[in-house]
Amino acid sequence: MKSRHIKAQITSFCFILPALTVLALLLLYPVVTSVFYSFTSKHLIKADYEFVFFKNYIAVLTDPDFWTSFLTNIKWTITSLFFQIVVGFLAALAVDRIRKGKSFFRTILIIPWAFPSIVIALSWKWILNGVSGFLPNILVKMGIVDTVPQFLSSANLAFPVLVMINVWFGAPLIMVNVLSALQTVPRDQYEAAQVDGASPLQSFLHITLPHIRIVMGLLIVLRTIWIFNSFDMIYLITGGGPAGLTQTVPIYAYNVGWGLKMLGRSSAVTVLLLIFLLMVCMLYFRILNKWEKEA
Amino acid sequence: MGKKKLLRRGWFGTTISYIYLTLLAIIAAFPLVWILLSSVKSKAELAGDPTVFFPKHITFENFRIVFEQLNFGRNVGNSVLVALSTTLVAIAISALGAYGIVRFFPKFGRKLTRVLITTYMFPPILLAVPYSIIMGKFGLMNNRIGLVIVYMSFSVPYAIWLLVGFFQTVPIGIEEAARIDGANKLQVFYQVVLPIVAPGIVAVAIYTFINAWNEFLYSLILINSSEKATVAVALKSLEGQEVLDWGVMMAASAVVVIPSVIFFMLIQKKIAGGLAAGAVK
Repeated sequence: MKSRHIKAQITSFCFILPALTVLALLLLYPVVTSVFYSFTSKHLIKADYEFVFFKNYIAVLTDPDFWTSFLTNIKWTITSLFFQIVVGFLAALAVDRIRKGKSFFRTILIIPWAFPSIVIALSWKWILNGVSGFLPNILVKMGIVDTVPQFLSSANLAFPVLVMINVWFGAPLIMVNVLSALQTVPRDQYEAAQVDGASPLQSFLHITLPHIRIVMGLLIVLRTIWIFNSFDMIYLITGGGPAGLTQTVPIYAYNVGWGLKMLGRSSAVTVLLLIFLLMVCMLYFRILNKWEKEA
Repeated sequence: MGKKKLLRRGWFGTTISYIYLTLLAIIAAFPLVWILLSSVKSKAELAGDPTVFFPKHITFENFRIVFEQLNFGRNVGNSVLVALSTTLVAIAISALGAYGIVRFFPKFGRKLTRVLITTYMFPPILLAVPYSIIMGKFGLMNNRIGLVIVYMSFSVPYAIWLLVGFFQTVPIGIEEAARIDGANKLQVFYQVVLPIVAPGIVAVAIYTFINAWNEFLYSLILINSSEKATVAVALKSLEGQEVLDWGVMMAASAVVVIPSVIFFMLIQKKIAGGLAAGAVK
């Protein structure tokens, strides 16, 4: 009887074994390797390397370029997240409110979500192109500006334009998730509030927000990480330029690893990045846990 | 009178909602529309007046160049192969895993979901360094199988996350009945559970396919010949050419983005919201 029980346990375990193997080999092991290489002089092409202790970390932490990238990264994350949430949240409220065309707007508004990063980059570069781009030329034609603006190569415009493209891409995800969270709010509470004479704003603050704040909190955690880590979009649209103005930490890490060919030092950068994200997430999860207990 | 109608909604707010949504819809759809319009314009028209919206003459010359001169069909083939293999393997692993978590290890499962969220935190650029070293060691550099293996790293956690939600909807009573009839665990899984969650699995599979089809960074780092390049990297290399031909680039972009958009529209209702919902449960 006992051996049969053990056998049953083993078959149950076989179901999750492949998934655990993937997690261990493709996520845990590489992270450990990264930490290891961050203490070595590993080169992209040369085979031999040696142990250098904290040399990579010291080199990174004393590089003003790293700190500039870090600040740019924080600016990039906060502004992108803020506008994604504002635009996406309002879109969700609007779709929730209207009666006709709900699924039409939903379907059209999620288009950016499906875009591969390279197509995001190429299409926006073409739309914003400083010679034959649609937007710069239409702005001139409408008399809003005198000369064709150089959206992606001008020092003042490149960063905000990049953030706008990121909002274009990320707002749909916020909208869809908020929309499905809104469905979980019981309608009769709104009706009761209306009978009691509550204003729409009061209903929103006292019924809607408390109901969806946990989903919102989690969304913010996930989006923060994603935006902080985003590599493709920046790399493909500006490559960190002009003059390093849009260089974030992942781009910096790529340039160190594949530009300077110093994989060891690049590992040190990415390990620092991970440590920072872990700290941010711990803070977030502490707040979320508190909310869950209150709910 | 329907219950919903009890809620009074002012016309003003509704009008504002429509105006806002129409504006957003135009912005959201514009790049796709512009890609399609530019792809069928001639070189002269593209260089002429950039603010003219519709092409005067529709030409498929750009698409001909994409497929005949640039051999883009080969890259499409690579991407289909890689994305399809990734999807099949990832869904097999994740369906077993998600079911195992829901049915056999619910307590451990809750912890595992937290771990999955943590893997979300790993910067892709952090994984890129060890992947390039490890793949080099195993001779899987510039190899499409190597790429499929690496793609498991994001597709499996994502798929498990979404699938757990679908498996939770299967009533345990049905499974117990089958067990009493003498079916073993694997048979119950195949013959009873899978058919019930099939629509969910198809949606997750399509989502996995789109993500693999769209992937850029790992493909950039692990594949270094144009013969084996995926569509994303092949598109990037078009931009590196001396004379930029935007018509050709938009035609190639259309080939890459259209399948993603169509597939995504088909499954969005099923996937949408699953992300947040699955994690809260």
